[in-house]
Amino acid sequence: MNGWYEAIFVNPWPWWAGGLVIGLLVPLLYYTENTALGVSTGYGSILKALLPRTHLSWLNSKTFADGPGWRLFFLGGMVVGAFVSARLSGRPLTTPEMGLFTATVSWTPLALVAFFGMGGFLLGLGARVAGGCTSGHSIHGIANLHTSSLVATIGFLATGILTTFLVRVFILGGGA
Amino acid sequence: MMQRKLTFLVLGGIFGFALSRVGASEYDLIYGMFTGTDLTLAWVMITAILIGHVGMLALNGFGGTTRRGEKITVKAKPLRPLTIVGGGIMGIGWGLSGACPGTVLAQLGEGKVIALATTAGLILGTYVYARLVDRESWPESRG
Repeated sequence: MNGWYEAIFVNPWPWWAGGLVIGLLVPLLYYTENTALGVSTGYGSILKALLPRTHLSWLNSKTFADGPGWRLFFLGGMVVGAFVSARLSGRPLTTPEMGLFTATVSWTPLALVAFFGMGGFLLGLGARVAGGCTSGHSIHGIANLHTSSLVATIGFLATGILTTFLVRVFILGGGA
Repeated sequence: MMQRKLTFLVLGGIFGFALSRVGASEYDLIYGMFTGTDLTLAWVMITAILIGHVGMLALNGFGGTTRRGEKITVKAKPLRPLTIVGGGIMGIGWGLSGACPGTVLAQLGEGKVIALATTAGLILGTYVYARLVDRESWPESRG
């Protein structure tokens, strides 16, 4: 029994276990709430919560008719779930590290905030223009054989590969 | 209504837990996927797509209704020229930040401080979209 607890709650999961659980969320969300798996629209819910009296038409569309609503609970649940995961595996409460990136460069905090903030900005803008992100398009959409989701995912991967190549060569000093 | 919110909280919790467990919130695994040196997360996504597809087939096989007996409606997002443009913009952000709009939330939960900057950028990018679609010059009337 102890081995099972360790495998699920303490140790990292193998790729197939993560794929299994994440994939099952697609039918589970339809079965429970008739809702498509997706995250990026939830950032509109955050805006709606921050700007309840906004005149922007997208934030007054029927997507946000119930106010900030359930999407905030889904996004909040994701933060909590990862928090629990990190606690159970005994990680530090906070860390300034970001893997290979902060292990390689020695940037000031301001430069890091600007760089990752720019990355986030493009994630937010791009996901809305494309109509979804990795969860809504790449997992939910392709699982339901939606052409637009395949096209969006080709876009994500194409520039993701190109950008990471440039980051590797020009910032992290890896060979071309 | 409360039960609905609780369901989303629990399913979101499982999603965040799984993303964290499988390492989707790790910069190095995103980097590895995009440089081809570690395809762990590519396999996670492929498995999730296959399981999601089979799960939807099973759900339809059992009548295609929710737990409350409503008919399940799956709507494809529209395919437009901007789909690939937006996808391309988001991919740059993915490559720069080592996160996507979902995994950054897992990074936050794990206490990765830099994820605060990524999240702030994401909210700002979403706001700029909301401003852009209100302009007459936006190529599509509706986002």
